[in-house]
Amino acid sequence: MTDHLPAAGRQALARSAFPAMTTGRWALTALAVAIAAVIPLVMTNQYYLSVMVTTLILLVLNISWNFVLGVAGVWNFGQLAIYAIGGYGAGIIMLRTSLSPWLALLAGGVVATVAAILLAFPTLRLYGIYTSLLTFAFAEVIQYVILNDSSGITGGSFGLPSVPGLFDKLSLAAQNRAYYWTILAIAVIATLVLAAVKQSGLGIALRSIRDAPAYAAARGVNPLRLRVIAFAISGFIAGVAGALYVCAEGSISPSVMGLTPMSVYVTMLVIGGLGTSTGPIIGTILVQIVATLLVTHPGAEFTILGLFLLVMVIFVPDGLAGVAGRYWRRIGAWAAEGENPPGDEPPDAGRAGPDGSAAASQAEGSPDPHVA
Amino acid sequence: MIVTNIVAIAVNTIILGSIYGLVAIGMTLIYGTLRILDMSQGSMVMVGSFIGWGVLVVAGWSPVLAILAAFAATFILGVLTQQVSVQPLMKRRNAIDFEMVTFITTFAVAMVLTNVALEVLGPFQRNVTPVIAGGITIHTVNLPYQSLAMAIVSIALMAGLGLFLSRTRWGMAIRAVAQDLDAARLMGVPVGKLYPLTMGLASALAGVAGVFLGGLYFAYPGAGDLPLLEALIVVIFGGLGSLPGTIYAAYAIGLIQATAEQIAGETWSLPILYGVILVVLIVRPYGLLGKPSEARL
Repeated sequence: MTDHLPAAGRQALARSAFPAMTTGRWALTALAVAIAAVIPLVMTNQYYLSVMVTTLILLVLNISWNFVLGVAGVWNFGQLAIYAIGGYGAGIIMLRTSLSPWLALLAGGVVATVAAILLAFPTLRLYGIYTSLLTFAFAEVIQYVILNDSSGITGGSFGLPSVPGLFDKLSLAAQNRAYYWTILAIAVIATLVLAAVKQSGLGIALRSIRDAPAYAAARGVNPLRLRVIAFAISGFIAGVAGALYVCAEGSISPSVMGLTPMSVYVTMLVIGGLGTSTGPIIGTILVQIVATLLVTHPGAEFTILGLFLLVMVIFVPDGLAGVAGRYWRRIGAWAAEGENPPGDEPPDAGRAGPDGSAAASQAEGSPDPHVA
Repeated sequence: MIVTNIVAIAVNTIILGSIYGLVAIGMTLIYGTLRILDMSQGSMVMVGSFIGWGVLVVAGWSPVLAILAAFAATFILGVLTQQVSVQPLMKRRNAIDFEMVTFITTFAVAMVLTNVALEVLGPFQRNVTPVIAGGITIHTVNLPYQSLAMAIVSIALMAGLGLFLSRTRWGMAIRAVAQDLDAARLMGVPVGKLYPLTMGLASALAGVAGVFLGGLYFAYPGAGDLPLLEALIVVIFGGLGSLPGTIYAAYAIGLIQATAEQIAGETWSLPILYGVILVVLIVRPYGLLGKPSEARL
C-alpha cells in the first residue's frame, strides 16, 4: 500500500473488500471494539449507560445517513422520517402481532426500505437544494400525519406507548447491558458493511456520481438506478435504527423527527467528516458528550454546536476523520523517509487513510477534500 | 357564510402572501446572486421581532423608528453573516458542494443566533405592541390595521426592491452578477462589495418582516423557524432565484394556506402546503418560473 493508490487501489480492490485495512489497522479496530464492549462491565452508572445506548442508536442512524448524504451525495433530509417509519413499523408489528421482537426489528428495516425507495423516486428529477427540500417536505408531512393521526394506530402526538423490548425478562441493569452489546454489534456490522460497499464497484459508482455527475453518466453509470439503491441501503439501516430505538426506549413519538434533532445529527456528521467511514463514529460520540455535559443549558449547547459546525465546515471541510487521516499519512510518510529519499510527494497523493476513505476519494481525482 | 369565507380567504391571502413575499424575496435574491440558500433568514425575522419588542415595548418609541432600527440592525447582521459564513468559502465557489456547504454554514449561523437569543433573553414569548392598533371589519371578518400596514409595507418594500434592482447602479450590478459573474467582473462590477450588500439587504427585509410578525404573534427565540420554512416553500414553489416567480408563489402559497385554514383548520395548513410542494417538485422540478442552471433575475 505504499504505491500510489489508483493502481494499487485497483489491485487491492480485487483482493479484498477493505483495501485500506492492513493487519495493524484491523488489530486497532478490534482493540477499539473490545474497549467499547468492556465499558458496560466497568460502568455502573445506569444513567450514563442508557445515554450510551441512545448514542449507539444514533450512531447506527448516522451511519445510514452518512451513506446517502456523504457517500452518495444525495441531499436526503428525510432520513429522520425513514428512521421514524422503521421505528413505528416495528413498534406496531410488536404491539399488534405476536412476532418475535427480533423479527420485528428486521421488519422495521424492511418497512423503512420500502418507504425510502418510495421517497427516492420523486427525487430522481431533482438535485442539490431541490432534493433536500422535497425530502424535508416528505419528513414534515410524515410528522404531521403521525401527530394528527386520530385512528389510534400511531398514537398521535403521544406516540406508541409500552412497546415490548428485546430483553424484557432481564433486570433493568442487565437490559441496559444487553442493549448496549446488541446495538454495538449492529453498529460495527453496519460500519463494516457500508465501508465495504463504499469500496465496491457500487460505492465507486456512487462517489463518481457525487463528484462528477456528467462524467460518471457519460462513462455509463446510471445515476437513477444507483440513487434508488443508495436510498434503499441507507433506508434499511435507518429503519433498523428506528426499530432499535423503539425497543430500547419502549416507546416512540413524533418528536424523534423535526428540525432540532436533525440539526444535531447533521452537526455530528459534519464534525466527524461527511462521507468517511469513521466520521459518524467520531462525530456522534463527540457531539453526544457535549450534549450530555450541557443538558441543562440547551441554549448554550446549540450555540456551541453551531459554532463548531461553522468552524469545521470553513476550516476543516473533511471533518475530524479527515484530519486524523492526514496526520496518519504524515506519520507514515515520516516513517517511510527512513527507507526512501524524501520525495516531494503531495500530501494528498493517496496513501490510504485509517479507513481508506479520505484517500480513496482523493485518489479519484477530486482536487480538494470535500464535505458532501 | 360562503361570502364570509371568501372574504376571509382573500384578506388572509393578501396578508400571508405579503409576509411570505418579504422573507422569500430576500432568499431568492441571495440565491440568484450567490447561489446560496440562506438558512439564517429565519433568525433575521426573529432578531427583527426582538428589535420591534425592544423599541416599541421596552423603550416605548415610535413604530417608524422600530422599523428603521430593525432594518439597520439586520442589515448589519446580514453583512456580518456573509463575512463569517460565506466569504471564507468564496474560493470554493465552483466546487460541486458549494451550495451544500453554504447551506450548512448559514444554518449554523441560524443555530447560533437562535440559541444566543435563547440564552440571553430566555424562552419566553414577548408581546410586541402592534405597529398600529385597531382594525376594521369587512363582512364579519376582522382585519387589524396591523396586518393591513404589514401588507402595504411589504408591497412597498418589494416594489422598492424591484426599482432598486432595475434602476440603480448597484441594483443593476446585482442583476449582472446573477446573470454572469465573470462578465460582470470584467465590466468592473465590484463583486466583493456586492455579496455583503445583497445579503445585508435581504436580511434587512426579513428583519422588517420580523417587526410586523412580532406584532402579529410574539417575539421569542423560535419566532423565525416557521417563517423560514414557509419562505423555503415559497422560493421552491416559485423557482429559486426568480424574483417574479417568488412574488407569484408568495401569493399562491398565501391563497393555498388561507383556503386550507378555512376548510381544514390551522393544524393542517402546513402539511397541506408541504403536500402541495411535493406535487409541484414532482411535476415541475425547478418550481414555477425557475430554470435549472441559467441566470434568473
